[in-house]
Amino acid sequence: MERIILDVAAAGDDILGILFAAAWPDIRLEGVTTAMGAAGAVGQVTAVAVRTLALAGRDDVPVHAGAWRPIVGTAVADGAALARLDQHLTPRFGRRFADLAAPAAMRPATPGHAVDFIIATVMGARGEITLVTTGPVTNVALALLQEPRLAGALKRLVVRGGAFATPGNVTPLAEYNIRADPEAARIALAADVPKILVPLDACEDNRAAASMLTRNDIADLVAACAGDRVVEALARVFPAYIDVGQTVLGLEGLPMGDVIAVALAARPYLATLGPPVFCDVVLDGGLARGQICAHLGRHILPGGGPQTTRIAMDIDGRALRALFTSVQAHDARPA
Amino acid sequence: MPIPILFDCDPGHDDGIALVMAHRSPAIELLGVTTTCGNAGIDRTTANALRILDFIGAGDVPVAQGCHRPLARPLVLGVADGPSGLEGSPYLPAATRGPVTQHAVDFLAERLMAAPDLLTVVATGPLSNLGLLGLKHPEALARIGQLVWMGGVYWRQSDIIAPTEFNAFCDPEALQIVLDARVPITMVGLDVTMQVLIEAPHYEELATIDTALGRLVHDWLRYYETRHRTAMGVGGAMHDPLALAAVIDPTLIRTRPAHVAVELSGTHTHGATVAEFWGGRGEPDNAHVACGVDAARFFALMFDLLRD
Repeated sequence: MERIILDVAAAGDDILGILFAAAWPDIRLEGVTTAMGAAGAVGQVTAVAVRTLALAGRDDVPVHAGAWRPIVGTAVADGAALARLDQHLTPRFGRRFADLAAPAAMRPATPGHAVDFIIATVMGARGEITLVTTGPVTNVALALLQEPRLAGALKRLVVRGGAFATPGNVTPLAEYNIRADPEAARIALAADVPKILVPLDACEDNRAAASMLTRNDIADLVAACAGDRVVEALARVFPAYIDVGQTVLGLEGLPMGDVIAVALAARPYLATLGPPVFCDVVLDGGLARGQICAHLGRHILPGGGPQTTRIAMDIDGRALRALFTSVQAHDARPA
Repeated sequence: MPIPILFDCDPGHDDGIALVMAHRSPAIELLGVTTTCGNAGIDRTTANALRILDFIGAGDVPVAQGCHRPLARPLVLGVADGPSGLEGSPYLPAATRGPVTQHAVDFLAERLMAAPDLLTVVATGPLSNLGLLGLKHPEALARIGQLVWMGGVYWRQSDIIAPTEFNAFCDPEALQIVLDARVPITMVGLDVTMQVLIEAPHYEELATIDTALGRLVHDWLRYYETRHRTAMGVGGAMHDPLALAAVIDPTLIRTRPAHVAVELSGTHTHGATVAEFWGGRGEPDNAHVACGVDAARFFALMFDLLRD
């Protein structure tokens, strides 16, 4: 049974990641932590996490609010670009971006900063906790800054971020989660702890098409679990996202990178993992800011750091999708 | 009424003297001390703060250990205070207590939030702790009524002042976070601290303070001044004591409002604090920059506070 802290920052497939982690019997979800991200301010992200856990019937899972800004900059410019994308989508797809149904009474976030929750949980269970991040890595970096012994106490870090052969999604070189706080990503990737990195190559690329959620998957789920409130919510919310993935991004379905990140925490063999390498992050301004640079090959210039990051090069998409749908079907909840 | 302060430092000889002054001044109530890396590694600066406070009978002032590295850059340690950060006084005993269990960032947050009024913070090292405070507890950073920081350099053409000052150079990203938050900041930079230099006559004055504290400060300054003179050809600059003194008596320095921008990407200039006094950036002023100092009155205050 893997013990996991899930650190999230956005809506969309982060919600799938939370729903999956909340229902998967193979893991124990110690808590969800939040940071600012593509979905907006940390308070908004926290509210989404609380509502998603309520939908999953997991009000027992603590939700700790975390970083409200990146270490450097404000990510406002990139965030504004995302908001403009949203404006483009509305005329094309109508107002189909439905909200998750919120239970009437919403619990507040659990008291205590996300960073303190991460430090206390990991230091209290040395070698047992896997930290999975599906947004900017700010909370992990702050925790490492505050508690240098954290790296030695973590079992593993799984980071959804970066892009290698697949183009970036903010600039041709940079992927959002890393671009939104490159300094934080650099601290996390330089930490001497075993890591799995899930770049766009393994989720938001048609090479990974078999892992993507389609309308057929949702129809199958609805047929198998009539009346289940999570499945009903999926059926209400996610077809619009699937359509965006297909028509705007040219993808075969909805990428499930955050589900993949959670899945790899307990079943790393679902991905083809590269050898352990050191990964650095470009901090300079411009198009490359936030690009992850894997120290593969041999170099004239010295440099580098702990060779502790294994990059997910490929994913067993059919197995992943089957795992996701079976976990949702297994954990039937009345509407 | 004494001014309650929180003191964030990296002792350091000149931090040490400023700590002594803060404890002994009737105008100051020293609520707590937080430490950061800078003049030496975090273990050393914390041990030094505790040793100094023990020595002057301030064992009741809580010390919270802070950042072991800058927020976004590799650790760079200063050399002006020697390997231990407090060379010259090997006889100074080890502290009889440790720091509080809380990290400095949480200690600062708790004290700032608990205080009935906005608090004054004196910072004499890299601003990593305050930067981390801004990232983790922005509501607490907003409870700083006045930040007096020894750091930066802006103003004078000079052959003894480089374009970057050490505290700003060590953690410019932390300074940027503090400026982003619009903390009311007075920057006591090299422009003024390089005008308060320990020279021969000051030793004569110090020799008249025939106490254990007087001898300790004398031994510190002999070491510190020799390092300065060897490296730069001038006497030891009383950087941190001047920042503390400016809280006790703001008229010791003359300040100008400015918009200060921090260079975060320069090859040789990262950490440069570029002051714009004329509104040319179209940004509102975000700092008061010290640009003049009354050195004689400063030294009089410093020696007064060291004398029993």
